[in-house]
Amino acid sequence: MAESAAPGILRGDSPGLRLARRSLALIALCAVLLPFADLAVVAHDPWAELGRMAAGLALPHWRELSSPLHAIGLTVSVALWGTLLGVLLGFPLALVFFRSRLVRAGCAFVRAIHELFWALLFLQVFGLSAVTALAALAVPYAGIFAKVYAEILEQTPAAAADSLPPGVGRLSRFVYAELPLVWERLAAYTRYRFECSLRASVLLGFVGLPTLGFHLESAFREGHYHEAGALLWLFYLLIGSIGLWAHRRLLPLLALGCLFLLGPWPDVDAGLLWRFVSHDLWPAPLLNGDPAGLVAWLGAIPDLGPAIGNTLLLGLMGTVGALVIALLLWPLASRHFGNRASRLGGSALLIGLRSTPELMLAFIFLLLLGPSMLPAWLALALHNGALIAFLAARHADGVEPGMPDLTASGRYAYELLPRIYPGLLALLFYRAEVIIRETALLGMLGVATLGFHIDSSFQYLMFDQAFFLLLVTAGLNIVVDAVARRYRPREVVMDDPCSR
Amino acid sequence: MRRLFATALMLLGLAPAAQAQETFRFTAIPDEDQSRLVERFQKVADYLSDTLDVEVEYVPVKSYSAAVSAFRNDQVQLAWFGGLSGVQARRLVPGSRALAQGVEDAAFHSYFIANTDTGIDPHQERMPDAFAGKSFTFGAKTSTSGRLMPEYYLRERFDEAPEALFSRVGFSGDHTRTIALVESGTYDVGAVNYTVWDAAVADGRVDTDKVKVIWETPAYPDYQWTIRGDADARFGDGFTDRVRQALLDMEAPELLESFPRQGFIPVDNDAYAPIEAVGEDLGLLR
Repeated sequence: MAESAAPGILRGDSPGLRLARRSLALIALCAVLLPFADLAVVAHDPWAELGRMAAGLALPHWRELSSPLHAIGLTVSVALWGTLLGVLLGFPLALVFFRSRLVRAGCAFVRAIHELFWALLFLQVFGLSAVTALAALAVPYAGIFAKVYAEILEQTPAAAADSLPPGVGRLSRFVYAELPLVWERLAAYTRYRFECSLRASVLLGFVGLPTLGFHLESAFREGHYHEAGALLWLFYLLIGSIGLWAHRRLLPLLALGCLFLLGPWPDVDAGLLWRFVSHDLWPAPLLNGDPAGLVAWLGAIPDLGPAIGNTLLLGLMGTVGALVIALLLWPLASRHFGNRASRLGGSALLIGLRSTPELMLAFIFLLLLGPSMLPAWLALALHNGALIAFLAARHADGVEPGMPDLTASGRYAYELLPRIYPGLLALLFYRAEVIIRETALLGMLGVATLGFHIDSSFQYLMFDQAFFLLLVTAGLNIVVDAVARRYRPREVVMDDPCSR
Repeated sequence: MRRLFATALMLLGLAPAAQAQETFRFTAIPDEDQSRLVERFQKVADYLSDTLDVEVEYVPVKSYSAAVSAFRNDQVQLAWFGGLSGVQARRLVPGSRALAQGVEDAAFHSYFIANTDTGIDPHQERMPDAFAGKSFTFGAKTSTSGRLMPEYYLRERFDEAPEALFSRVGFSGDHTRTIALVESGTYDVGAVNYTVWDAAVADGRVDTDKVKVIWETPAYPDYQWTIRGDADARFGDGFTDRVRQALLDMEAPELLESFPRQGFIPVDNDAYAPIEAVGEDLGLLR
């Protein structure tokens, strides 16, 4: 029968069909593996606690905040200077990115470790200080900037440079004939990264740097929801109003002003640094040359198989979940659908979902659904889905509809989605790497991912074990990134660099 | 170039030693209510500063492990540690000493609490067999009252790891959160610091129709002040004893309520030998 039938609905070789097949394959893979995930729902009585949370968000207690202005200032300062330092480090690396395997590998490695884990590492040496905060952002961002800038520079149109007379120096050619052509895209990506770094700067508060997250985490963890609500609103407003205060012309002033807020600057103790790098990070048996001890050391490492399995499974589920959420939510914030009020509401919803730290989303779902992988899955899917939806909506807003008489669903299915889907999927594949990194974070919630064990090792002060697990995580991330790149839609030239 | 580098390293290395003589730094994480830490502990810093006649600064930290790291790295010289984190710190900084503990800490307890839907009777003589197959949450991973001692007594009673006994084991990260999660039924059973539980019940923050105390652990030593061994050398002979006296003399309620403790009594390192033994047993210390 199969031979005589007309081509099935998914047969054929057009780019669109290829994308559809890949998306469905991803969803099918997730569905097949789902039975292995731990998804029990425990029935119980979450409403009292959820009611207290809702009341906290509805009636924030602004007065109870201690020095919120300082916390906001520090959050912005860390984000701004973390990004700037990331650019300073990342740009030169971008210039040699495709020429040096070493640079590429190094960048992949620093990217693969979550900002929070970098912070935990630097914390051991620099204490709770601005250096820890800035380094925790600047180091991984340098790796990200190097890669993304390099990809943007690679797509520089050659016409301008080709028309220069022979003998023009390499530097002049770069500055006058190449850089101006891609400047806008470099700047756009940097702006987007700044928003990411604001979110990360808040997260750094979770390990003790006094940004907004410091107070937010304490208040939320201890059930002071009115205070947590006030802090969360402040954060939403900060993210929602970036366009107003982070203006291009204001940035130099802002950067200078922020320098005064950063601090305290630690007394960097070279001895501490050396002890940490040469001693703390390595297994003692290895340093003492004791092979039997090393075997025992490896035996004491928590079971890696299930941890890696959980991490990958949660990453896959998060990626597929984010795809579904993004497909559902992007029209909410797009100019092609609804009215002014609904778009405002939609944009606010997307800001809320993508700015609420995943740990909090996960805790809410933990109360609702009980302990399992499910709360972590939902938190990852909603957070990343909302982020992709926001970028997809912006992409769609740039599309001029050519069939004005279509109904809204027709516009969605036949006009807009086909045009933005390749970009959306490319975005998702970029995001897969980030999602894997974030599963590590939700490990702190009790799902036994690699991140759960890394967090434990840091708490038990077994830095050698933490470092080893970080290396495993980084390796895993690099592999996932390579696989995602292999299957990423190649047909699309990503015209919006803000999509990573 | 090399000389420049060496000079820079030397300057960096010398800077902290020169500065530390001016300011005596301490840190403290109370077992509940970590809001407005700086504001509250500034009063303690002012008290210590007046009594000891040195500049005293409070350094806020977020977790036990951060407190231990700060102590080890000499970023603080005095710290209010939990039982286990104090042991961790004293093992990492040879010569450091436990000075004083809270009145409550000489005989501290953990409560095992359970959601009433589990049908487990409250206030039992020994841990009930009904624990088997229930879901269970500890507090923070390195909390003495929320993790270490509860795990010790669980293993002693049932002779197996909590992961084998319970259907699921979580780490809520905080005592307040443990109470909320057991009250809502998210976890059936939890282990919690008794002072946090008592305070929550007194304030009406817990619905005691939904969650009850099932069992109370025997007494063990918990929170204590620990000072670095080099304090005398840096702040003058007898400085350690003066710090201890200042802590023991701390009587103003507005200072003590930050910890929250009724007062402080003397203690030494040996009092924490049981905690150290349990920590080693459970693989949390090495």
